[in-house]
Amino acid sequence: MMTKPWTLREGFAVGGTLIAFGLLLTLSFGPVRWDAFEWPTNGITMSALVALLLMMHLLRSHVYVFRFLSTYAAAIPAIVYAVVVTIVMGLTRQSAEGHGIHDMLTFWPFVLTYVYLTVVLGMVTFRRLFAFKPAQWRRDVPFLLNHLGLFLTLTTATLGNADLRRVKMITNVGQLEWRAINAHMEVIEMPIAIELRRFIMETYDDGSPRRYASELEVVTRTGKDFLATVDVNHPVKVDGWKIYQFGYDTAMGADSQTSILEFVRDPWLPVVYAGIYMMLAGALLMFIGQKSNTRPHHSPQRQTPTS
Amino acid sequence: MTIWDSFTYFAILAIVLWATGAYFAWRDRRRRSIVATVAGLAIFLSFIVALWISVGHPPLRTMGETRLWYSFFLPFVGLLVYGRWRYRWILSFSTVLATVFICVNIFKPELHTTTLMPALQSPWFAPHVIVYMFAYAIMGAATLMSAYQLFKMHRTASSDGARPFGHRVATPSTASPPMIFDSLDQLVRIGLAFLTFGMLFGALWAKEAWGHYWSWDPKETWAAITWFAYLVYVHYRQLPRQRPRLALWMLIGAFLLLQMCWWGINYLPSAVGASVHTYGS
Repeated sequence: MMTKPWTLREGFAVGGTLIAFGLLLTLSFGPVRWDAFEWPTNGITMSALVALLLMMHLLRSHVYVFRFLSTYAAAIPAIVYAVVVTIVMGLTRQSAEGHGIHDMLTFWPFVLTYVYLTVVLGMVTFRRLFAFKPAQWRRDVPFLLNHLGLFLTLTTATLGNADLRRVKMITNVGQLEWRAINAHMEVIEMPIAIELRRFIMETYDDGSPRRYASELEVVTRTGKDFLATVDVNHPVKVDGWKIYQFGYDTAMGADSQTSILEFVRDPWLPVVYAGIYMMLAGALLMFIGQKSNTRPHHSPQRQTPTS
Repeated sequence: MTIWDSFTYFAILAIVLWATGAYFAWRDRRRRSIVATVAGLAIFLSFIVALWISVGHPPLRTMGETRLWYSFFLPFVGLLVYGRWRYRWILSFSTVLATVFICVNIFKPELHTTTLMPALQSPWFAPHVIVYMFAYAIMGAATLMSAYQLFKMHRTASSDGARPFGHRVATPSTASPPMIFDSLDQLVRIGLAFLTFGMLFGALWAKEAWGHYWSWDPKETWAAITWFAYLVYVHYRQLPRQRPRLALWMLIGAFLLLQMCWWGINYLPSAVGASVHTYGS
């Protein structure tokens, strides 16, 4: 154990230690407080993470652990642990009111496992970025799209979640409404007011809904005033918010005079989408590139990295 | 409703053609084998298209309808594998599996529903499911090849002791077992690319339909598990020293997790009632 070069065994030891450490953190501090990451804390955290990874990359020839973090011996256990903790999540009922493994998203061992995966991803990305060879683009471009894309998606989706706002507004025909209810059932005032003009409902022969939608007049504090129709799958965008058709008075069915709308604001979405589109492009290149670039590279440097 | 009554005829014709293709593959009559399999696929696809037109939406919602696509993609992927690597047995396997799925549809047709709830009426719906079914078929083929290889290794290597996962090999591209890894790696990479498409199309769609791209819905959780499990294999295969048997078992394990994602969660106590991906009528 711990003789250099480190292998899968040490990789599993590092990950296992993190999980044990996570259990200690849970016992000492309770669940992870994601809401503490609200802007600008999440922006600072993101910058600090990238700066830290860059520094670790630059020090890799001096510090063995930093060098180790971008090897397959670190990556494989990191992914295996992600599989394991996510299986635990998949086998247990999850809810925001749950504790421990019943709310994995705030359970330290789960969170640290994904943090470790993210750190390895970041180190791998920096290493390939600094060693990028245009002549090897067939290998390096899909690699970078896949890894950087996943890194961006994981980090910004998680940190940005603290800035995600989802509130529901109950609108009635002919009444202007600007109050909404947040996840904690508190009434808040919105910068956007809605008047429900008409609720639309079409049903199949068996009575199940084929379509439900709301004709709205939207009035904003910024001075906008327009008519719009919100359908399921077709939200309306206004002033950084997306307005979704959420529900209606199911007791009244097609005669409902009430429509429930959901307002969603996610300022980090463009960065998350950038990561998602990078992964899509990476997957496409991985698929197209199969014929010309199939044999894996087994150079010994892949295991024990060169400077 | 009426189109399903003719399913049996389409299905029997397609199975006969696929079986003919499998037979010619064993006899090394490549051209005949390919022609017969393609003809079977054309017959089966024409039923899917007819069903699509008759119900007025892509037939992708119920388990029965996704089985239909799986029955189509299995011989399709089998044909690709056969055309590329000439495994004589792959078409027989894909035909048998497709037949099993078709029989389930014939004898348990709980799929005659034409209603499609509003959230599913999205341009993302068809690509999301079709891409996933294609990925599942690819991974199914990779699993069959792993199991076949493990069986062969078990028979030939029963004399060299009882090491659980075989000996470490210094270079995996020598001797007989790694030969199959070239094709396995390609299959898994293609399958993984399509799993990625399926998962991310789902995320983009979820944003439009449900307000957020990822909610750790049980189906999403298991999709992530499956995706990571195949990533383990892909990364493990990059190691200079590997255990071939362990790598093969990884593919079988990953496919078991995929089953959980595909239909297992319908029976999982932690997922029942908590998922927007509940299939059925």
